[in-house]
Amino acid sequence: MSVVDAALVAGYTVGDFLLLAAAGFTVLAIGMLYRAVRGPTMQDRVLAVNVLGTNTVVILAILSAALSEPTFLDIALVYALLNFLMAIAISKFTVERGGVL
Amino acid sequence: MTGAVALATGSVASVAPLSPIVAQVTAIEASLLAFVVLTALATAFARDVLAAVIVFGAYSLGMAALYTFYRAPDVALTEAAISAGVTTVLLLLTLAKTTRIDHDAVFESVNLPAAGAAGFLFAGLLLTMGDIPAIGSPDAPVWSNPEVTQWYLTETYAQTHVENTVMAVLAAFRGFDTFGEAVVVFAGGIAALIVLHREVFA
Repeated sequence: MSVVDAALVAGYTVGDFLLLAAAGFTVLAIGMLYRAVRGPTMQDRVLAVNVLGTNTVVILAILSAALSEPTFLDIALVYALLNFLMAIAISKFTVERGGVL
Repeated sequence: MTGAVALATGSVASVAPLSPIVAQVTAIEASLLAFVVLTALATAFARDVLAAVIVFGAYSLGMAALYTFYRAPDVALTEAAISAGVTTVLLLLTLAKTTRIDHDAVFESVNLPAAGAAGFLFAGLLLTMGDIPAIGSPDAPVWSNPEVTQWYLTETYAQTHVENTVMAVLAAFRGFDTFGEAVVVFAGGIAALIVLHREVFA
């Protein structure tokens, strides 16, 4: 805990700064949402959601460190895999109608 | 169980309703809630069905992060598997079996009477929020009946030989209720097979 203690600045812990960073990444996600909603093509939306998914993995990893719960990294892993699956499924759907997986 | 305990001990300070809760919402909570509400609105108003499906995937990403922040990793994992994985694929399968019309407009036009009825229901449901006990409140049913809670915690293993109390309550103490739910899910699976013209789950 010495590293954490050394990093105390005016009563704030490292966890607080990490939570603030996670909030910043979420604000970025709101910005990326514009592309997912506006499009104009489906490829734009698929890419936007893929970036959003990667962003969510980063947020989950930061939350895991900030709340000092290492098991939360499992959720980040599951999301990294599902994000890939989701992008593949939607891409395949838009290219060949009828084929999803 | 541990998630609920961590949640209860994490923020005991919130007791009075609404306005103090709004005051103590942190930056990460506020940004995540804004993201979730925006994605939900975009899903509801999107004119194109495929766009709605894609944005709904983004909604489940935000919800999973929110559940994780509230120390409910099991709910977040379920949200990831069901909402981002299974629901997206099921909706895409449904789209593949039906037709999708291309639209020029991005957003759906709003039916005002329907929106008014939905808003009225939403306001009515919001009024009941005040009766929900605050996080960590000693008046919450879980804490105000300690003998009931303790009975399940101490007697579960002796009676059911299941180590996880939540699992024991779901599968043993209210097993018939869970059995009914399983029947409903099975009936839903059979209905999906009939719609997809398949004969086996494969």
